Amino acid sequence: MTDVRPTATRRPRPTGTGPGRLVVAVYGVLALAATTRGVYQVATKLDEAPVAYLLSLAAGLVYAVATFALATGRRALAWVTVTVELVGVLTVGVLSLVDVGDFPDETVWSAFGQGYGYVPLVLPVVGLWWLWRTGRGTTADADSADPSPRQPLG
Amino acid sequence: MPLALLVVALCVALAGWAGWFVARDRAVVLRQLWGAAVVEGLLVVQALLAGVLALTGSPDVDAALFWGYVVTQAIVLPLAAAWAFAERTRWSSVVLLVAALTVAFLEYRLLQIWGSV
Repeated sequence: MTDVRPTATRRPRPTGTGPGRLVVAVYGVLALAATTRGVYQVATKLDEAPVAYLLSLAAGLVYAVATFALATGRRALAWVTVTVELVGVLTVGVLSLVDVGDFPDETVWSAFGQGYGYVPLVLPVVGLWWLWRTGRGTTADADSADPSPRQPLG
Repeated sequence: MPLALLVVALCVALAGWAGWFVARDRAVVLRQLWGAAVVEGLLVVQALLAGVLALTGSPDVDAALFWGYVVTQAIVLPLAAAWAFAERTRWSSVVLLVAALTVAFLEYRLLQIWGSV
């Protein structure tokens, strides 16, 4: 895996540790929720609204890939998938307000993720901020010392 | 379903415990994981009961929907527990907090699905 020896150069911090655990955890929950819902919709009632249900499943899979990328520190993949999510939630959010026909209230992204407490809208922004934040790397000052030391499980 | 109410109550209690640890800047301790294990045990019992009820064909629930919730619910706490070992900082408490609230919410949704039968 990544080596941890301190260097003078700026190197990206891991995306899956520390506060990143929270980002990955929420992504994981959303991935599970969206993917299982998408599979369920496609499996049981695809003919009712094929566009919405296939989109629902695709959104779930993108969340799953983003979760994997953030957890394992695959930064490029994470940037792409998180950006796709932001574009997706904004696009479908607008479309679902304007044109109800193609997007019945059935996907994670409908009405800007209202059905999921707007988590789908907030999460990509948090994800992009977190990628940017960790991407600045570890410099000599504030970030270098681990702010919270390891505690025993006790 | 009193079992479901018990699960919700325990999850909220576990979330409160984890939240207190977040505030105190502490990592998850083993005792909390035992608490999570008790909740997980109840979830397994509940899933088995649901399976028996489904086989005997009593409640006419949408099976895929129902089992989607049951399976998702069973996955969340073990993942949070695994992270409690890997991340020995306050952030493991944050994750446990989120996980416990997620299970409580899923249980509430299950009650809604079940309650309508």
